[in-house]
Amino acid sequence: MTRAFTLTTALAGTLSLTLPLQAQTAAEVLDTYADIAAANYADSLTTAQVLDAAIEALIADPSETTLAAARSAWLAARVPYQQTEVFRFGNAIVDDWEGRVNAWPLDEGLIDYTEAYAGPSDENQLAALNVVANPTFTLSGEEIDATEITPALLQETLHEADGVEANVATGYHAIEFLLWGSDLNGTEPGAGSRPWTDYAQGEDCTNGNCDRRADYLAAASDLLVADLEYMAAQWAEGGEARAALMADESAGLVAMLTGMGSLSYGETAGERMRLGLMLNDPEEEHSCFADNTHNDHYYNGVGIQNVYLGQYVGVDGTVVSGPSLADLVAAEDETLDTEMRLRLAEAVRALGAIKAAAEAGFAYDQMLARGSEGGEALIMGGVNGLIAQTQTIERVVTALGLDGIDVEGSDSLDNPNAVFQ
Amino acid sequence: MRQLLLAIALILPLPLSAQTAPELVEDVLSQHVLPGYAALVEETGELATVAEAHCAPGDAALRTAYGEAFDAWMRVSHLTFGPAEEQNRLFALAFWPDSRGVTPRSLSALIEDADPVIETADGFATVSIAARGFFALEFLLYDEAISTMGDDAYRCALVQAITRDIAVTAGAIRDDWETRFAGLMREAGTNDRFQSPEEALRLFFSSLNQGLEFTADLRLGRPLGSYDNPRPERAEARRSGRSLRHVALSVESLGQLAHLLAQRDSGLQADLAQAVEIALERAEQLDDPVFAGVAEPQGRIRVEALQQRVREFRDLVQERLGPELGVAAGFNSLDGD
Repeated sequence: MTRAFTLTTALAGTLSLTLPLQAQTAAEVLDTYADIAAANYADSLTTAQVLDAAIEALIADPSETTLAAARSAWLAARVPYQQTEVFRFGNAIVDDWEGRVNAWPLDEGLIDYTEAYAGPSDENQLAALNVVANPTFTLSGEEIDATEITPALLQETLHEADGVEANVATGYHAIEFLLWGSDLNGTEPGAGSRPWTDYAQGEDCTNGNCDRRADYLAAASDLLVADLEYMAAQWAEGGEARAALMADESAGLVAMLTGMGSLSYGETAGERMRLGLMLNDPEEEHSCFADNTHNDHYYNGVGIQNVYLGQYVGVDGTVVSGPSLADLVAAEDETLDTEMRLRLAEAVRALGAIKAAAEAGFAYDQMLARGSEGGEALIMGGVNGLIAQTQTIERVVTALGLDGIDVEGSDSLDNPNAVFQ
Repeated sequence: MRQLLLAIALILPLPLSAQTAPELVEDVLSQHVLPGYAALVEETGELATVAEAHCAPGDAALRTAYGEAFDAWMRVSHLTFGPAEEQNRLFALAFWPDSRGVTPRSLSALIEDADPVIETADGFATVSIAARGFFALEFLLYDEAISTMGDDAYRCALVQAITRDIAVTAGAIRDDWETRFAGLMREAGTNDRFQSPEEALRLFFSSLNQGLEFTADLRLGRPLGSYDNPRPERAEARRSGRSLRHVALSVESLGQLAHLLAQRDSGLQADLAQAVEIALERAEQLDDPVFAGVAEPQGRIRVEALQQRVREFRDLVQERLGPELGVAAGFNSLDGD
């Protein structure tokens, strides 16, 4: 009796392990994907709220310590956010929104003083506007009253002013600039070194207009929290992004794969990594003020892997997992699933090598220096890994019979001026 | 006799038209890719030779050789994968658009410092891609500020370094095609890079598609800007007056690629040929070599019309050629911020 019971339990155990794998449906896979997105944006929100509190503390009591705490909070907030970037391409609701929070690169002279100031450029007449120092100014022929720096001013008037995408007034990178300042070290190590006294009120204030600078930082931080609240809600149960995804299963799967492929190839491998390397230009670094670029790339890679494997490890260790794209592919073609897992792992490993080197003291800026063979090998290792995994993602698209299904927001060329900005 | 010939003709497969995926790939390789790169190698070699004796910005022989080499590049510039992608060769030949003005900045820095890095080919190959290739050379030959900046002898050496580097890079792409990549495509299905002939076809189809989008959205879209904010200064190669020429050359070359890929459907081939012809006629009638007219309503409409014709060609490619080939465009290297 006991023996029979054990056997039955064991059998049931086996069945419960294997059966769901065979019973994968596209709807279940999409569910997991949406759950991961919900958890990942929720983490982005909570870490941004921690950042917001740290910024309030910095403004209330400016010091070396409160500035350092705000910088740490910013770095922590980037960990979940960068993993969400895989949801951008393919989900129109994310694609339309992401410019508010992660636009890059920026002509930071729009916001505040910069010693690297080069004046207005052919492409951007506002590259040296300096809103912090100027309570009123003219923008596209219109007189602007910026005596009060509010979230609305940033979002509605300044962001992408004059139709120039480099006029980034909001989001992580605007906050990054206000916490770190310009990195004047070129391809030498070292990040921006804004002094805490840029936020000191009264006589201790350095570089002028500390009150307006603090107002700007507070407004940008409020906006970031509000924008992430919005996106987290879109992915929660009943949210619009989730509903859009579920509306058509094939299109939903295409959205998943489009996000993986576009973030791998055009965005991370191309725009963010290869271009900076080829230009030897540290201003092309994704987080050029904070020198956090190695983490930006790495967590992009992790986010892509999350989507395929159907698993996300939250910032408090909570694991979200479920039926995955990997299961669907394995059911169709086991060899292809193995290839995809391998390529993803290789890319994450190559991106991890950049992160490891950077954390051990070989800064990303140094990797970009002209003639840096080690830096080139590291960065191209990541680029090649991302390109190789894109080829396999294309195979997955074909294997799942998803060829030729177009998805809105998959193509940055809808917005040509954005390319190579 | 006559009947015999007819019988033979009936037995022998028609050699004129490729039918299978490997045959289509072979035709694109032997009639489009390899001759295109052979021409590029010849013209860039000629440019480097001319520059040895003629390096002054206004030199007529140099400008002619520059134009011919740039023309040859435009005919293969849509083949952005494989040998062109390896070692960043494509960008070393042509870095555009340059929305942050890195090319003039990088060139100024070299000239002002009289940087000796340009003295050797290996050294120059480490220089920022913004100071290499056809667009850097354009500044040295045609831009008022850069072509007169600093020391004449240094600029002359820089022109020679760039032209040599262009020739070396073009040769490297051609060699890589001939010794490696064409073989991988021909033997698709027996290697990891191309697991089936359809994967090779897909890549050609993607580059056709991407090339058309590049021309419509960037070559024409960037100067068009918006109605309230036209951006004529963003036109490609406007300093050398080549903006419109580039649109025509790319449409022509992409038309050839489309023609080869559409061989199995003569009706589609004819429709594609007509779309190409309409776009080229529109380009010819435009009479605005650098799209300066985008700032005026009249001129703007005409440039928009050309863009529309290019997009109609692209629509035909996407809606009919893709399904005919049984492939969809893969991921686009231009997807990004």
